[in-house]
Amino acid sequence: MSKYQVDKVMREVILDGKVASVFKADTEKFLEGRDLTEEERKALIDVDYATLYRLGAHPFLLNGFTRLVWKGDKAALNAEYRKNIAPFGYPDFST
Amino acid sequence: MAELVEIMGISHSPNFPGQIAEPNPEPAIVEAARDYDLMRQRMAGSRPDVLIVIASDHLNQFFMDNMPAFLIGKAPRAEGPFPHEMRTFGIAPYRADVEVDVAKNMLQLAPRMGVDFSFSDEFRIDHAFTVPLNFIRPEMDLPIVPIFTNVMAPPVPPAQRFFEVGKAIRRMIDALSSNKRVGVLSSGHLAIEIGGPKEGRSSSDPEFDRRMMNLVGRGDVEKVIEEATWERMMASGNVTPGFLNFVLLMGLADGTAPSLWGVRFPKSKGSVPYMAWDSQPGVLP
Repeated sequence: MSKYQVDKVMREVILDGKVASVFKADTEKFLEGRDLTEEERKALIDVDYATLYRLGAHPFLLNGFTRLVWKGDKAALNAEYRKNIAPFGYPDFST
Repeated sequence: MAELVEIMGISHSPNFPGQIAEPNPEPAIVEAARDYDLMRQRMAGSRPDVLIVIASDHLNQFFMDNMPAFLIGKAPRAEGPFPHEMRTFGIAPYRADVEVDVAKNMLQLAPRMGVDFSFSDEFRIDHAFTVPLNFIRPEMDLPIVPIFTNVMAPPVPPAQRFFEVGKAIRRMIDALSSNKRVGVLSSGHLAIEIGGPKEGRSSSDPEFDRRMMNLVGRGDVEKVIEEATWERMMASGNVTPGFLNFVLLMGLADGTAPSLWGVRFPKSKGSVPYMAWDSQPGVLP
């Protein structure tokens, strides 16, 4: 469990458009050497926001990050996001 | 001795400027825009020489690698918001000189008043500063002293501490060596959820908003501190602790009731509150 490292990745991507491009171009390479669990690494690569939410990613960062790097239809994302995270309630997002 | 000429709190919703600019804004937005224009006129009428601006940072400037609870900015210039915020919300930039002498003086006085503020000589202000400043002082002609609070990264100081820090800031203003007219502008919000299951179009908990604004309006510090717990605010919406900057303002006003206050409930986004206290001379006990 390395919530801090997940939050750090999401923040870097949000703050800098160039970093976001590098992240999107080759996420696996971007995450190399970072102290993440395999579950966190896979969730970041897959933009699996529901898993990141369940693991305690900061919801404010997760919201911005997901919308920024989402490769599919953004309108569909808005419709499904709340539904998919709702089963996990309110995980503790303190680091 | 400096003179505290205005104490004011408003919302920093980055959606609000865009809502006002829509071709046909809903009535609550029109009313809230009118409220904020009256607040702008009120601040202008108080003729401050410097604005102390109390606002949060949304993990843009400060992060969990080095997170201050309360921080005074003392770089010569303050600019914002962050580029990604301008892209996302279409909000306007803001630039102001920082009244560095006042900031340094406050830092020297603070430990005596019971608060060890962090400080920064290099920072950017995010929408929590720029949105209220663009409403209240669009001329960008007043120097500011920015005070950053942590309401985003737990553990966030409890409401009691925000109230005490507000009292301490009041004492610091009273003890400033300059004879400037000081206005205080605090930036916060009521219930709001972002990135959580309750995120929706309007306030995530209008009942919390009504209850807290009524308590603030009555100057009921005890109840606000009792009820604005981390757990209660999280239940109202996962970003609701931005309300704590208004609790700080209650401390700055020494627990008195605001002279005027109100809140609008747009259907399209979170509630839009305002509150202001007439200046009260004298040093707090």
